[in-house]
Amino acid sequence: MSKRFFVAVVMTVLLVVANTSVLITAYKEGLDDYSQRVSVNRKEVTEVPTYSLLALKVLRPPTPLSIFSAGLETRFGSEIDIGFDSVPTLSSSQKPLGLKNPYLKLFSQIDLVSVFQVVLSLLALIFAYDAIAGDWEAGTLRLVISHPVQRGTILFAKYIAAMLCLLLPVLLSLLMSLMLCDLSSSLRMESADFLRVGCIFLTTITYLSVFYLSGLLISTITRRASTSLIFSVFLWVFWVLIYPNWVSVTLKSVGDQRVERISVDRHIAQISEAADREEQRYLANSPLQGKPPRFRDIFGVVSWQHGDFPRIQGELKNPASPLVVHLLRFYEFSVTLRIQSAEKIGLIRQQLEAQTYLRQAQTEGRLLKISPASLYTQVTSAWASTDLGAMHDYVRSAQAYRHALIDAFEDQNAFGSLQWFATNQGPLDMSFLPHFVFKRSDIRESAQRALPGIFFLLLANLVLFTATILIFIKIEV
Amino acid sequence: MILHIVRRELLAHLTSLRFALTTFILFALMATNAIVHLRTHPERVRKYSENIIASHTALESRTQLYLLLQKGPGTLYKRPSSLAFVAHGGEAFLPGTIENGGSWSLTGFSLSALKSVWWMGEPRLNRGESNPLRSTFTEIDWVFIITYLLSLLPFLFTYDSIAGEQEQGTLRLCLANPISRHTLFIGKFFATLLAVLIPFYCAMLCNLAIVSTNNWTQFDGTDWIYLAIIGLIASCYAALFIAVGLLVSATTQERQWSCVLLLFIWVTVVVFMPSTLGTLATKWMPPLQTHHQFQRAKQGAIEQLTSDFTHKIAAAKERQLKAGNAWSKLQKLAKMSPEDARQLATSLHESEKVDDSQLRLMAARVNEDVKIREHLNRQRFEAQRTQIQHMRAITRFSPAALVQYTIESMAGTGYNHHLQFLSNVDLYIRDFRHFIDEMDRSDPESLHIIGIPKGMSKKPISPRLIPKFEDKITFRETFNTAIVDMLCLVLLLILFLFTGFWVFLRADV
Repeated sequence: MSKRFFVAVVMTVLLVVANTSVLITAYKEGLDDYSQRVSVNRKEVTEVPTYSLLALKVLRPPTPLSIFSAGLETRFGSEIDIGFDSVPTLSSSQKPLGLKNPYLKLFSQIDLVSVFQVVLSLLALIFAYDAIAGDWEAGTLRLVISHPVQRGTILFAKYIAAMLCLLLPVLLSLLMSLMLCDLSSSLRMESADFLRVGCIFLTTITYLSVFYLSGLLISTITRRASTSLIFSVFLWVFWVLIYPNWVSVTLKSVGDQRVERISVDRHIAQISEAADREEQRYLANSPLQGKPPRFRDIFGVVSWQHGDFPRIQGELKNPASPLVVHLLRFYEFSVTLRIQSAEKIGLIRQQLEAQTYLRQAQTEGRLLKISPASLYTQVTSAWASTDLGAMHDYVRSAQAYRHALIDAFEDQNAFGSLQWFATNQGPLDMSFLPHFVFKRSDIRESAQRALPGIFFLLLANLVLFTATILIFIKIEV
Repeated sequence: MILHIVRRELLAHLTSLRFALTTFILFALMATNAIVHLRTHPERVRKYSENIIASHTALESRTQLYLLLQKGPGTLYKRPSSLAFVAHGGEAFLPGTIENGGSWSLTGFSLSALKSVWWMGEPRLNRGESNPLRSTFTEIDWVFIITYLLSLLPFLFTYDSIAGEQEQGTLRLCLANPISRHTLFIGKFFATLLAVLIPFYCAMLCNLAIVSTNNWTQFDGTDWIYLAIIGLIASCYAALFIAVGLLVSATTQERQWSCVLLLFIWVTVVVFMPSTLGTLATKWMPPLQTHHQFQRAKQGAIEQLTSDFTHKIAAAKERQLKAGNAWSKLQKLAKMSPEDARQLATSLHESEKVDDSQLRLMAARVNEDVKIREHLNRQRFEAQRTQIQHMRAITRFSPAALVQYTIESMAGTGYNHHLQFLSNVDLYIRDFRHFIDEMDRSDPESLHIIGIPKGMSKKPISPRLIPKFEDKITFRETFNTAIVDMLCLVLLLILFLFTGFWVFLRADV
């Protein structure tokens, strides 16, 4: 119960409470925006005049655990357009939720994990820097060793005592923030979420232990409190402050993707040209006259949206005309053709993303693993399911939803129906549309994502601990 | 005597471990900054000049007055500052351009569709270069180095300068000599300041040397003045933290405790306060509309405008029709010759005027649309601006934020530069529209109905006369806030220095 401990605990709790209240408000705003936008989208779907004009959007609900670890939650968009003519990819997700003031990006948002990352790691080092060196200088170390206790036991006892002290602020602030979450009505957590918070707690302990042990190692090596302190603080500055930013800044301009982009664009243009040609060939063999989508013989009033994909809303002059059957067939053919070419284009886009965005992010992630501080951020965001993997899941579920949509349309035979393009039969029946539900990855998958990081942290612990013990056993007192 | 103390303390600092580590970190960071700048800046400048040339040629190709109005000035680009390496200030994501807000066309009431003209779009966040899959990070620029390191290093140098000597008992010995306490205090203060500033200035010069090897970064005289002022601000900032360090060291009388206290002060004031205070402040501010709500509100206003317009134009058409009917009826009744009848009709002056009034209605629709959209955008931006200004005002409690804002306005980057860019754009747009009005007025054949092709002058305009936009970075407009910030910094420095001094004078040794 020293002064430094008291100050650190008070500071952590204050910071945690202040930031949690801000983050809960932000979450609430995101949730409001989410429900508003979902209801607007639902309404828009019911007002669509023809099937081809259907423009579906899916939204990612805000993650409740983003309060603990924000990860990519605010950076990654939440809205994806679902169309027959485009496959959603990582970069098609846009428009984050609750965006009231884009300039707020000037102020970085601080989640709970970053408070622990900065304050408690500093506290761990402050506990550790004089654990051996201080005793050494005061001469008490000699006294302690003269007792019939093994040196390893002494070290272990010191370690356990410090970790127990570090437990208190972590537990206190986690409980405080859980209480705040409980008080606010909008934030609802499931039992699995509590389990995730528990995992975040354990990760925090492992992380702090890395810092404590490095402090202990420095303390054992230097044997002087003031030197050990300076080393510890510089180590902390390097790991927490400099290294993560340094990696990101130097990585920033690696690789100009213009060449790849150009070749991909050319490839995409080729695919859509091939589809155009196929369509022309079909039209040449069909009795339909005129250019699609404006078949003047058949339609009275017609309007369409520009683009390759046929999005038409027209009034047939004579629904009984024999040409209409041909028109139906033509659109069915065209739609399936466009869906196929969209899949091809989607594959190419995904490859480009894998080579550029994704590869860059992965390289960065790998490099960041060197600093325990950024490793800790990665692991906790995996637990909170706000990491890259979770965003990938979201895009994948949007892709699956698109497939389900196409299947539903095929089951209804909507591509070859009159309602695809004509308004003659009155309002549409949209009840067969599948509903989009984004299910977050379950805790097992999160654990899979978090485990490599945790393994690294544990390894660091083990190495540091054995190194400290070895050195401590050998030193002369 | 003071010189002797300074020399002794300085030597002690220079040979210490912390000095070596400090120098290493400062040099490494400054070198990284310079190298990253060299790698990115030429590309940025090249892109900007290409864009400017392209937009100017596009502007000069629009010699028709209506075309000029419709396409407007195209895209307006923000100039990258030559001192961008000093402070990035969020340039990576702040909007870099002002673009056309969009276009629409209305059909179905006249021979040709009614088309929109250029309006100023909402400034959109720059997403071009950023990869949404990567984690957020802070740019390593001078602001980062100054705010984080020039506050931590003074603490590391001062935490034991009084408390340590007190523990060892050397302070008592020292004061037993005929040295006054204030001499000792001032000596320690200046020695530490020198020990911190020497490596910083060396690293800074090294950084400048690397940066100026490049042809793309040419500093002119004012740039050097700004750099000098930035150096001065950095010294002030470091001095402030040295004063705080000495104060704490004098109060605590115990080395460890003073170190712990200083580290926690540092974490709170420098790491957390600049962002936490700002976001906390938003809790008590009136909530803004979300992007989605705003777009819907705008859409509603435009729909209202369109429906009003359809009613009016229908009424005008009806009037025209009635006038036509009246005219033929009159012709039949009076059995006049067509010439007489026409004369009568002109005396009633209906039909021509109706045609004219329809044109006017259409032009009004186009201009009203621009006005409403720009007004709503501006309103939203103003709301956002007040929020940000409040947040910045509150975060000024932290000297780190204070220094950050001052340096940003010196370097011509960041939020202040963004505001300046927007006001430049506003001025330019006013000029541009005024120019179109003037050109139209000078043509006697024109109907002077701005907004539709029929109503405007068809004379070609000389491309040289068209006003062109180029963003300028001037310090004058942000001068006031920067001066106030600097004064605040100096005031804080004096305050803490005197408190420390006073505490030390009264401390028991």
